[in-house]
Amino acid sequence: MRKGILEYCVLLIISKGEIYASDIIAELKKAKLLVVEGTLYPLLTRLKNNGLLSYNWVESTSGPPRKYYLLTAEGKEILNKLDITWMELSYAIETSKQTKS
Amino acid sequence: MKKTLNINIGNSIILIEEDAYEMLTGYLNEIKFHFSKNADHFEIVTDIENRIAEMFREMLLQQQKQVISIDDVQLVIAQMGSVKDFENADEAEGGIYEETISGVKKLYRDTDDAYIAGVCSGLGHYANIEAKWFRLMFLVSFFFAGSGIVVYLIMWILIPRAATRSQRMYMKGEAVNLHGFIRNFEEELAGNQLISRSRGFFVELAEAAGRIVRTLGKTFFKVVAWLIIILGSCFFLAMLVGMAVFLGFSDANPNEYFPLNIVNDAYLSSMVFAFFVALAIPIIALVLFAIRVAFNSRAINRTVSFGLLVVWLGGVMLSIFYITKVASEFKEEAEFSQVRELKKYDAYTLTLDRSRFFSRADSVKYQINSDKYRGKVILNDMDDPYNLPRNVRLNIEKSENGLVTLTQNNSSHGKTFEAALSHAQNIHYDFSQQDSLLNFSPFLQLNRNTKWRDQEVTLTLKVPVGVKLILNEEMDLFSYSFDYWSCEDHGAPKAWVMTEEGLKCTKP
Repeated sequence: MRKGILEYCVLLIISKGEIYASDIIAELKKAKLLVVEGTLYPLLTRLKNNGLLSYNWVESTSGPPRKYYLLTAEGKEILNKLDITWMELSYAIETSKQTKS
Repeated sequence: MKKTLNINIGNSIILIEEDAYEMLTGYLNEIKFHFSKNADHFEIVTDIENRIAEMFREMLLQQQKQVISIDDVQLVIAQMGSVKDFENADEAEGGIYEETISGVKKLYRDTDDAYIAGVCSGLGHYANIEAKWFRLMFLVSFFFAGSGIVVYLIMWILIPRAATRSQRMYMKGEAVNLHGFIRNFEEELAGNQLISRSRGFFVELAEAAGRIVRTLGKTFFKVVAWLIIILGSCFFLAMLVGMAVFLGFSDANPNEYFPLNIVNDAYLSSMVFAFFVALAIPIIALVLFAIRVAFNSRAINRTVSFGLLVVWLGGVMLSIFYITKVASEFKEEAEFSQVRELKKYDAYTLTLDRSRFFSRADSVKYQINSDKYRGKVILNDMDDPYNLPRNVRLNIEKSENGLVTLTQNNSSHGKTFEAALSHAQNIHYDFSQQDSLLNFSPFLQLNRNTKWRDQEVTLTLKVPVGVKLILNEEMDLFSYSFDYWSCEDHGAPKAWVMTEEGLKCTKP
């Protein structure tokens, strides 16, 4: 996995609304980004401690309460910056591909 | 039939088979160990445990069963991933978020905006000041003995060029996003030689020169580092061997020789060991640092270096303790003198006499039966000067009462006045008169096992006015109260005469 892409995708998934960790995992699996679940937890903790994420405890019907993650204002700001960088990057790649062929 | 256990995981009570339980504990312990270096390990492990509990509950619900089996645990581990998978992920995960958030500025040379090597523009970016002010500063400093040139060259060598896009962003203090990706992209491009930035000829030339200087500088540091490694290791080994010899083969009696004979036998060994620790560890540290420079790698981890520091401090403290202990042995000073009258002659010849009477100490030292040598004399004894520092002083003064006298003043230091006095009394000094020939021993002697306490003998020879003194060649071994070397006479014995004003040089 390229550096930083996983974080970018996690932020994108969370930006769509409050979400439970195992649902994030399901989305990442769908996107074929994540092989094992264990790697997601340290990542979420890190993003949370950097102030990009926060979470709420939500009661569940089938067991103890669950952590639901959401983006903070700072997280949204960083996500916007990453969006711009990503567009620059994909533009660079597309342009390079065209000039090569 | 299998034994089952009740466990509480993630605030859920789960019934689990014994072998499955063992596998699960093993797995969780591995995870705990893996994340133990992480500051948030408690939270991460709790999240993982909660998720595992949730998976267990789903499994029990879906399969309509009561107990978790070993197969279930294996499924969970496969889904969660083994510690090995985490390690791979750790490598791939970039620190881009830390970087995105921090947006720190770093000092680089800006070669895109350069007159020579981009030092000034780099400083400008860093300090948020226009580069022209730095340029002006350097330009002005060139007129002060060119001191700015040296500073500029040093900065050129030390400050790296902003080569990649991310470095340029760091230089300008912009937040770096996905920089790992960009760098990869750029490296691929650079590898294909697709881009080459065109810069001024002067800048290109300066770049080349800078590269050469930097390579030379690096090589120089590496050579120095290698020298330190080799010399430091040799020195350390020599110290180690020296200490082993000292501690292991004490029958060579190194403690009889100066300066080891200052220290009391009771703590000589521990003092030498403390000195060894206090000296060897800085050498080890220096060598390790040199290894770091030479191989660009850290030789030991933080715990070991911290341990070394603690041991070193211990060694230093112990050394200081012993030094003060030894110093206390020199606290008091005592001296006494004895005067002897010499037979009167008009002229005396002063010579150095290395011979001395065979003493009891010698019979022990050379393992000879002392009875056979009683009253015999040792000629040319050369052993003792290594025992003590130069410690005999000779003054020649005018006698007021017409008598020829030799005053011998013994002095020594000690812990108490009594000890000092007893040390002074233990000094043995040989002097003899044969008609007009005065024989002085070059050294004072201490009894065996007597410690060095700055014992000194000061001899004062008093002769009346008009008496001639001839000092033989070897008499230069003493310290004098007059200028011995002012009487140059081409190798012949030095001839002096006592006058009313004091000792004067005459030709023989």
